[in-house]
Amino acid sequence: MILKDVLAKEKKAAFMLGNEAIVRGALEADVKVVAFYPGAPTSEVLDTFSDALGSFDYQMEITTNEKVALEVCAGASFAGIRSLTAMKSVGMNVASDTLFALGYTGVKGGLVLVVADDPHAHSSQSEQDGRFFAPNAYIPMLEPSSPQEAKNMVKKAFEISEKHRVPVIIRTVTRVNHQSGIVKLGDIKRSDFKKVRWKELNEEYTTLGAVARKKKLQMLERTAKLAEEFEKSEFNFAKQTDSDVGVVTASVSYLHLLEALKMLKLKDKVSILKLGTTFPLPKNIIKNFIEKLKKVIVVEELSAYLESELFAIAKDVNPALLILGKKSGIFSEAWEYNPNIVAKGIASAMGVKYAGHEAIAEEAKKIKAIIPDRYPTFCSGCPHRATFVALNQALKIQVAKGQEHYFANDIGCYSMWIFPPISRGDSSLCMGASIGVANGLSHVIKERVVAVVGDSTFFHAAIPGLINAVHNGNKFTLLILDNSVTAMTGQQFNPSTEFIAGGRQGKKISIEKICKAIGVEFIEIVDSYDVKGNVEVFRRALDYDGLSVVVSRRECALYGDRNKRRRGEKLVPFYVDKEICKRPYVCLRTFYCPAYELDGDRQPRISPELCDGCSVCAQLCPIQSVKRTEVKT
Amino acid sequence: MSLNIFICGVGGQGLVLLTTVIGNACAKSGTNIVTGEMYGLSQRSGAVSVHLRIGEDKFSPLIPYGEADILLSLEAIETLRYLEYLKKDGIVLMNKRIMQPPIETSRIITEKGSQYLTFEDVVSKLRGWTQNIAVVDALSLAMEAGNVRTENTVFLGCLSALQAFPVDEMAIKKSISEAVPKKTVDQNLKAFDLGKRKAHDSLCTLVPCRELP
Repeated sequence: MILKDVLAKEKKAAFMLGNEAIVRGALEADVKVVAFYPGAPTSEVLDTFSDALGSFDYQMEITTNEKVALEVCAGASFAGIRSLTAMKSVGMNVASDTLFALGYTGVKGGLVLVVADDPHAHSSQSEQDGRFFAPNAYIPMLEPSSPQEAKNMVKKAFEISEKHRVPVIIRTVTRVNHQSGIVKLGDIKRSDFKKVRWKELNEEYTTLGAVARKKKLQMLERTAKLAEEFEKSEFNFAKQTDSDVGVVTASVSYLHLLEALKMLKLKDKVSILKLGTTFPLPKNIIKNFIEKLKKVIVVEELSAYLESELFAIAKDVNPALLILGKKSGIFSEAWEYNPNIVAKGIASAMGVKYAGHEAIAEEAKKIKAIIPDRYPTFCSGCPHRATFVALNQALKIQVAKGQEHYFANDIGCYSMWIFPPISRGDSSLCMGASIGVANGLSHVIKERVVAVVGDSTFFHAAIPGLINAVHNGNKFTLLILDNSVTAMTGQQFNPSTEFIAGGRQGKKISIEKICKAIGVEFIEIVDSYDVKGNVEVFRRALDYDGLSVVVSRRECALYGDRNKRRRGEKLVPFYVDKEICKRPYVCLRTFYCPAYELDGDRQPRISPELCDGCSVCAQLCPIQSVKRTEVKT
Repeated sequence: MSLNIFICGVGGQGLVLLTTVIGNACAKSGTNIVTGEMYGLSQRSGAVSVHLRIGEDKFSPLIPYGEADILLSLEAIETLRYLEYLKKDGIVLMNKRIMQPPIETSRIITEKGSQYLTFEDVVSKLRGWTQNIAVVDALSLAMEAGNVRTENTVFLGCLSALQAFPVDEMAIKKSISEAVPKKTVDQNLKAFDLGKRKAHDSLCTLVPCRELP
């Protein structure tokens, strides 16, 4: 896809990423307010809206966290304005407080909430199954399997939302968000952005005690109506055959199923029920589908969400029905599926032969046993690596003096400290939790606790933990790694950046001023690249008998490099002077930069096309053999 | 028309752009395409992969094991990482370039006598799976084209040489011009041509190719 297709006025077919199709669907639905906190696998929804901001009339915010994003949308929606937010699975946890309340209060303008689960935990701390939010909060849910469906469902979700006055969840998985395909575009008819007069709307959105009790009944009524309506939804469809075996599926599992049936030569040999409205479920459609079947196979990733419902429905309409899925052990609740896994499950349920994929995987495994792992690692020029080198040196000196440490990591690029070759981290939970657990640990362990948090995570969820620490007099050291952007998800702007969505000017928020206002007494601000100086600062912070905060500041290398290129500045690489280098390998032992490798002679060299010119390795070399390339002018 | 290509490489090599160029060309010519992209997080130097599937009967965004017609690899070591996806005797189209993971370099300096995996090691292992291996020194061709960041476009040129690649060369070139930064269009088109010519040296002796004009 290129942005042009998202913006295209004509109805054509375009190659689009699932996330771009979501944006297109929302633009076709005339969305007026969008708000996001970035998170894989939904970040491209934010990025695409940010890029398209110059072309259409809508309000956009990159918010401090997902809860605020949902509330921005709720505010717009209360006033009758269409709004959309998208967040990753665990972002939904943060926003869920608001979601549950919105279930009670309802909304007016269409509010669409895209929640992307991450089976396989490709880029998340858990494989949580977000589908359960829908029944728990009485919020309707649609599940697309492809970019085309994602676009259609987003568009329809605005109508459902307005008709029933309730937010609508579009629940995706990584393989839908990061799937590209041909999408047939619909009309884009945009209306002018207009402010409305609140008083004329005559609305209220409260919920508490007696009001909540009354609204609970309305919520139940609403859900019953939605269930009735979803019986007629175009997003549920059955492919009936003469077979007495059927498959019930939803989301990307449907596509894996079609592929698996092709592999097993079972195409058109089993009936398929593909569900798109997965809360409330269209129970009559399911009843009709399973009524005459002897066997039904349920193909869904993660929890047995659909399967449990099938057991309940079958109990009345077809008690003899054999239901095969996770409970019978044909499929697992762990990890994402693919065509091979689905084929294996189907073959086993149908009692047909499937050569299986284990043999081919096993054969490949033997052949590729020689290759090294390629862990995610810090980019060349990454300020986090420099901070880590200084911290590591400081910790070593402290250990020699008898001070030991607990290291509380958090969520961001610096999470990669837990991977080899650094492999450092005693805990890493979720956004902002490093400071939270540091509070508890500081009461009970003898070691000095070192917590680390990035700028975006600081604003997102860490500030309450810091206030708690000051207020209660808890003693630990906090490193705030300020690289100006939300780096890991694609360098989006955050309050530490002077820009806001669409590259417009915003107000940069000072982390150190916040810390000072909270009452932090030890606060130092350092340049991440100044390794030698930082060792001393970190040592002082570790020795401080109280809460010490060090802000290590330097912009993300990818963000900085891109800005340099835009300004026409060249990145000037370093090189190792072979004449001087005695190969103590200090650069390699302490720095792990991907621009470094050994040549055939075991001589360290720097790949000029990978070097960002940060200079940190040159500082570390004890014999000054790393030099900046001379630029001919 | 049916083609499965498994594309892999290292973060920063432009796999997503390569996918976009093919996808846009397919969209314009009414050819069905579905892809599954795995680029994980936004940092550089990690493993990146794309399942690219062209044809009407392609449903899942993931290629089943052993069904990729082509394993296209922008970094030599990564070729082996995804071997199970390639058909037996399928086509390997690989970069000669190796980007050693930092963890590997730290192992080499700490373990006496240890050595990096070489490009020859990779090829010899690949021969246990297929003989159709074409090697391209994409980095030097990209440099020859005037832009080290055009390795991905070199491979688009290689693909276009193949008879099995169902997308018209002109459509790919147009798609390149629309997808890359304006000032790099000429460099990219040059990289494309160099790749195509290179394919005729190494790949077209193994598998059916379109003739050079």
